[in-house]
Amino acid sequence: MPSLHELQASFALGLITPGNDDVLAHLIPAQRMNARGGLTVYRNNVFQNYRNALRDTYPVIERLVGAEFFLQAVDAYIRTTPSTSGDVHDYGENFDAFLRDYPGASALVYLPDVAALEWAVHRAYHAAASDSLDISQLADIAEDAHSDLRFTLHPACRLIASPWPVLTIWRVNQPDYASEQTVDLALGGECALVMRRGEKVEPASLSVAEHVALAAFQAGASLEGALEAALAQDAAFDLGAFLQYHVLTGTFTSFIAE
Amino acid sequence: MRTQPHPDVIPPIYAAPSSVGIGLRAPHYHEILSTRPAIDWLEVHSENFFGDGPPLRILERCREHYPVSLHGVGLSLGRAGALDRAHLAKLQRLVHNIEPCLVSEHLSWGAIEGRHLNDLLPLPYTEEALALVCTHIAETQDALGRRILIENISSYVRWQHDAMPEWEFVREVVKRSGCDLLLDVNNIYVSAMNHGYDARAYLAAMPADAVAEIHLAGFDEGEGCLIDTHGQRVAEPVWQLYREAIARLGPRPTLIEWDTALPALSVLLDEANIARSMLEERHALAA
Repeated sequence: MPSLHELQASFALGLITPGNDDVLAHLIPAQRMNARGGLTVYRNNVFQNYRNALRDTYPVIERLVGAEFFLQAVDAYIRTTPSTSGDVHDYGENFDAFLRDYPGASALVYLPDVAALEWAVHRAYHAAASDSLDISQLADIAEDAHSDLRFTLHPACRLIASPWPVLTIWRVNQPDYASEQTVDLALGGECALVMRRGEKVEPASLSVAEHVALAAFQAGASLEGALEAALAQDAAFDLGAFLQYHVLTGTFTSFIAE
Repeated sequence: MRTQPHPDVIPPIYAAPSSVGIGLRAPHYHEILSTRPAIDWLEVHSENFFGDGPPLRILERCREHYPVSLHGVGLSLGRAGALDRAHLAKLQRLVHNIEPCLVSEHLSWGAIEGRHLNDLLPLPYTEEALALVCTHIAETQDALGRRILIENISSYVRWQHDAMPEWEFVREVVKRSGCDLLLDVNNIYVSAMNHGYDARAYLAAMPADAVAEIHLAGFDEGEGCLIDTHGQRVAEPVWQLYREAIARLGPRPTLIEWDTALPALSVLLDEANIARSMLEERHALAA
């Protein structure tokens, strides 16, 4: 008799891979069904579960490509992308990379970056809460040590940079958005900071200089390093205003002084 | 197989034997908190609260007003190989936070070789599967420091290799692992109809003392089988089977589950009231 491991591996293969029916030899279907019918019920359940998860996470993508194309793309994604978690909320990562290579989606050049933004929104919604930075602690740091400060970003915060106006596309495709929905791609690239504020995730627009400064902090850079990166993008970058805004709005949760 | 005794944890508020609960799903969060309907307890899918975002804050608020039962769909107790320790750790954290009245999982598998299928798949009812499930239940109970409930599932296929009927497998799991039983009466009915066995024989084989909760839900007619969609009112023959179950077992905390095509909260409360009147009828008989 095959081992439990062999039976389960065979069942899993039969569920996901079209045409792989080896497991049928081990199964007895419900009494009014043929052999394949029982497996089909499970396959439908599994696909429906993932489709629902992806629909919840990527509503803007579904709106942009239409329900039918979305379903085809999602089913192709499900066949090639195994779930790695018992929590279905974790399913759907790298849908942006999948769309980049998906035939038929290439005309919509901005689609993968919109998907990356939606994934960031999804993760930020479920991410851990964190205390905001206690600003009084900053007062204790000698001024000449400021350039060595390393700010830590909120764990739920994610940065998006795209050569396309992804944030505008995302905004005009929200269910409560009522005005003109056409987006001129000539608007050019956009950067966004995605984090949860209260109960909602509202991606905020960032300048390129702000984006590189935050990305530098996220990579562990010091204040001096982040400032250099920002100034290289925008010679008029206002460090004081930038720090004040991101301390007050909770982007930074702590800092390390060395 | 019983690794260590698990005391019955007495939670701050518990699910009383004649109490009726409903499954709480996202579209009803706001209404539950704002109207606080007269329901004895709430049950949620554990995995919906593994994150640390707004859903968990809502569950914490619900917990201030109701006992909460945690019902897992993703631990995959029947998977060959090791349990997913990261998943178990998340459940442990949630149990610690919510102090649930009950913690349950399914008698099924849903992952193999690191690939998850995120579904409740049937086990072959063999000695090998029995030993494995009991090991995983023991590991889970040890990690959580409390007894868990195991729920029987609906199925659309059986395995050629079954060495015993499902009810015997269920009974053996309870006996060997020391877990409790979440008896899903709708699942018994659906599987009995699908596979042509006697739902009453199944019920008669259940160890009464171990049954700590009952589930009720609706099914749909598929092509050639009944499908456990949780998308309908409880069917009449399932109510009948429920009456027989509580006649035999005595009153048990009973839950109305609804997952697809979720209706207004009032419909769930209606169904809960039907269950409540049956429990009260049973109670009056016993008095």
